Amino acid sequence: MWNWFYKLASPPYVYRLAAVLAPWLLGGAALCIGYGLVDGLVFAPPDYQQGDAFRIIYVHAPSAWLSLSAYTLMAVAGGIGLIWRIKIGHAVAAAAAPIGASFTVLALLTGSLWGRPMWGTYWAWDPRLTSELILLFLYVGVMSLRSAFEDPGRGDRAAALLAIVGVINVPIIHYSVQWWNSLHQGATVAKFARPSMPGSMLWPLLSMLLGFMLFFGGVLCLRLRGEVLNRERQSSWVREVVRAS
Amino acid sequence: MNNGFWSMGGYARYVWPCFAGALVVLAWNVWSARRYHSRALMRAARAAIMAGDRS
Amino acid sequence: MNVGAWQVLSLMLRREMCLYFRRPDQLLQPLVFFLIVTALFPLGLSPQLSLLRDMAPAVLWVAALLSALLSLEGLFKGDAEDGTLEQLALCGQPLGLIVAAKTLSHWLVSGAALVIMSPLVAVALGIPREAFPAMLLSLGLGTLTLSWLGAIGAGLTVGLRRGSVLLSLIVLPLAMPLLIFGAGATDRAISGASAAGPLYFLAALCVLTSTLAPFAATAALRITLE
Repeated sequence: MWNWFYKLASPPYVYRLAAVLAPWLLGGAALCIGYGLVDGLVFAPPDYQQGDAFRIIYVHAPSAWLSLSAYTLMAVAGGIGLIWRIKIGHAVAAAAAPIGASFTVLALLTGSLWGRPMWGTYWAWDPRLTSELILLFLYVGVMSLRSAFEDPGRGDRAAALLAIVGVINVPIIHYSVQWWNSLHQGATVAKFARPSMPGSMLWPLLSMLLGFMLFFGGVLCLRLRGEVLNRERQSSWVREVVRAS
Repeated sequence: MNNGFWSMGGYARYVWPCFAGALVVLAWNVWSARRYHSRALMRAARAAIMAGDRS
Repeated sequence: MNVGAWQVLSLMLRREMCLYFRRPDQLLQPLVFFLIVTALFPLGLSPQLSLLRDMAPAVLWVAALLSALLSLEGLFKGDAEDGTLEQLALCGQPLGLIVAAKTLSHWLVSGAALVIMSPLVAVALGIPREAFPAMLLSLGLGTLTLSWLGAIGAGLTVGLRRGSVLLSLIVLPLAMPLLIFGAGATDRAISGASAAGPLYFLAALCVLTSTLAPFAATAALRITLE
């Protein structure tokens, strides 16, 4: 068990492991997303209130969910790098940031496109969309802090600390935005609240969720390989890799 | 697979851009991750050549 | 040398205040900035007091956040540039105490000064007298919390050449709950409702940051200084 942990902290091992994992994860993601798309777009019945517009949930919910979990992963990985001085932790955090930010943008885009038929406007300061927007700002802050340092090690640690501060703040932001919304708008149309969903609508959603998760894992592996190479440029095993390629 | 499917009950203007955006984001992620790796490989190769010159 | 924690804190506070009061222009500029920003809104909107009153909490709070941010950049910068900060980090006293003293003194010259100044602006924006206690309390708690959050941001960006924009980029998203609860408390007080709820939240946030932020800001300084 511990042996495996030690291996995970070793860059050449992670570099090879990521190469093995990436195609499997991406393949699984293609299957899940493919099934979710077909079932969600073709076979799931239209919603009795929202008609076919509800199908946007099949991309909106997974991307919103992924944007939050990617941020958490970034903070945890950065924390591991910061506390135990494990370089792989920082590499994972650096690799997760742009992926998570891209899914935050996707969640904002789909949320606003969903809002147009539901609220009659592209942007309604809905609490979830507002939290998502602030999450995007947090991502931008972490990414620009990392790149602002000339010394990559220092940038890694600074970004990790900011990510941890941010992850403590995320629930506070979420709660405060909800409080703010209830204060100013009263009861808004709870478009995302659907306590019970028939299986024919739910299965594609779960499949899409799983598919997005697997996709995130696969892309993280791909990007992690680049991060590890960049960080270990001077070491002998990278020379071997370069010679082999 | 007729008009009914593509018109999405009148919501085609909102549904299809969402799915198109999702595909763009997914494709961008794969493309940029692969490019990131290949650039890192190139940079490492350059570093190896420089080190080789010195020794 | 054996010096107690309180002694370190009070010595550092005295030093910081002394430094601030030697440069009174540095002290006044954020306050004048606060006045200018609040004057921009009536000019851009309309001089109608009834309209301004709706906007007043937001105007007051946004101006307070911006002017506190303006002075945050210099929190560690001067001491880092002339090497004092490294000496302080090496002097054997806990760096956390020194960071806490610097942050508290920053709050005294920016936040507390803003609180004292805010009734002036509040009258100009048409906020009724009954709302003053809630407004003053929310500003006091909020600016103290902001000073702690800002200390983390200032610690992270102290060594950077173009740190000021980055500092705002980092700190402002973290400060959004403050704006929500602070402006919410003021807004409720203006409309005659009880402002206790949001004020409790602000107090909780203030306690949370006062306990955690000194450690985070110290860690940030250690990252950028070493």
